[in-house]
Amino acid sequence: MVRINASAPHPNPLPASGERGRARVLFAALLLLLSSAASASEAFVTAQGADALSIVDLSKMETVATLPIGGKPAGIAVSRDGARAFVTSPEGKFLTVVDAATRRIEKRIPIEGGPLGVAASPDGKRVYVADLYGRRLVEIDLASGAQRSVGVGAMASGVAVAPDARTIVVADRDDNALSLIDAASFSRVATVAVGKHPFGVTIDAAGARAYSANVESDDVSVIDLRARKVVATLKCGSRPYTVALARGRVFVANQHGDSVSVFDAESLAPLETLKVGEYPEGLAASADGARVYVANWFSNELWALDARTLKIVGKAETGDGPRAFGAFIRDAE
Amino acid sequence: MRKAPVDIAVTRRLLLGALGVAAAIAVFAPCAAFAAHGASPLKVVDSTIVAAPPEKVWAIVSDFAHADWLPGVARVEASGGDVPDEARRRLIMADGGVIEELLTKRDTERMMLGLHREGDDVKRLPATNYTALITLRPAAEGKTEVEWKARFYRGHPTNDPPPELNDDVAIVAVTALLRADLAALKAKAEGRIPSPRP
Repeated sequence: MVRINASAPHPNPLPASGERGRARVLFAALLLLLSSAASASEAFVTAQGADALSIVDLSKMETVATLPIGGKPAGIAVSRDGARAFVTSPEGKFLTVVDAATRRIEKRIPIEGGPLGVAASPDGKRVYVADLYGRRLVEIDLASGAQRSVGVGAMASGVAVAPDARTIVVADRDDNALSLIDAASFSRVATVAVGKHPFGVTIDAAGARAYSANVESDDVSVIDLRARKVVATLKCGSRPYTVALARGRVFVANQHGDSVSVFDAESLAPLETLKVGEYPEGLAASADGARVYVANWFSNELWALDARTLKIVGKAETGDGPRAFGAFIRDAE
Repeated sequence: MRKAPVDIAVTRRLLLGALGVAAAIAVFAPCAAFAAHGASPLKVVDSTIVAAPPEKVWAIVSDFAHADWLPGVARVEASGGDVPDEARRRLIMADGGVIEELLTKRDTERMMLGLHREGDDVKRLPATNYTALITLRPAAEGKTEVEWKARFYRGHPTNDPPPELNDDVAIVAVTALLRADLAALKAKAEGRIPSPRP
């Protein structure tokens, strides 16, 4: 298997004259491989047991790089432009900023408490990190390095930023509620009671609705962000953890169900329950909505689902204990 | 293995007091199925080869309500049949303790059984939110490979754990638990007399 690492040093100088023709062909082939590597979509999967980030080439469904992170990485957010990946290490108490193209660690930012859920602003200039133990959401200005906090509820877990960048939603797990944060003033403007123990939270492309996966009540709360209230509750499988949206459908990973529940986003009618790997956790859709990817914690796999046909279309092995908690897909340019 | 009746009687007499205390705690404590835990689940995987066909081993493993072959268990009280997320069992331990477990998965076709321990007792097991996934696979010569995977968190629910409730302690304890559970299952399925209880 040829493995091209974009961060590899410059290739060796071309061999001397006699082999020039063959070398030219080889070089052209190398360039082609490099460009295809750069254009393939990737999954940045936090493998918490392996203490690393598994980078999966989604066209091949194969782990192509493993980046040691440390501190038991759990949360992940790839910036919208795909330039950076932000990884939380709740045990190490830091955020790792990864240059996603070169797969190099840019810097490590200390964050007190237990940094877990993470989301980037749409322009990629700010990162929001939930401190699981400190009842707060931390904002990091990447250019200046400045940090500020806003108080949220108990055991803050998932974080999502609305597409217009104005609102941040935090799942306050042990308060059974979501906090709505105004991004400009960085203040908590509302709390919305949801099901029991919300963990993952996702906002739709229109910025109209948020969805929380409620682990202990086996359901998903659908929240109207303008009205700031729950407009529907979807019964799903056992121990729902995360939500992804694609092709007008709502996908929910059920940890104990070893399944993904699928609903119609408009009618909210249940469509299907797909069997996936063991103990599914992180769930995310490709930018075009064609595929949904799910990280399976017990079986150390990333599975690809076709969002339209609802068939399993691929599986990749990852490092031990994949969490992939957050927006873990880096889409091809 | 069925325990001798006298054992149960002795156990009951000796530990009525302890059970009373446990019952009192149960009344006052909120009935939280899943206790508070941190951000880093831990995993231990162990397996063994059992000299019995998969069907026979599955019959034992999947009989959630009658798991009196588990090490240290005096008897089992069960409810909810074998329906996942409804079936519960109370393992009445020979030492008087009680362990409550919920059936989370029962897949006969794939021979997989999942369970979740409800309520944590870090004095008994210095880990929390213990979840197990037991998978049976056919092995050579008609034998069965039993894989027992555990997901759990350390005993201390937040960061900066005391040394007695850190990740390493939890991993050592769950590793020992899985080894003992697998040995007991192997003894039961192979029709051997289980080794003396610790």
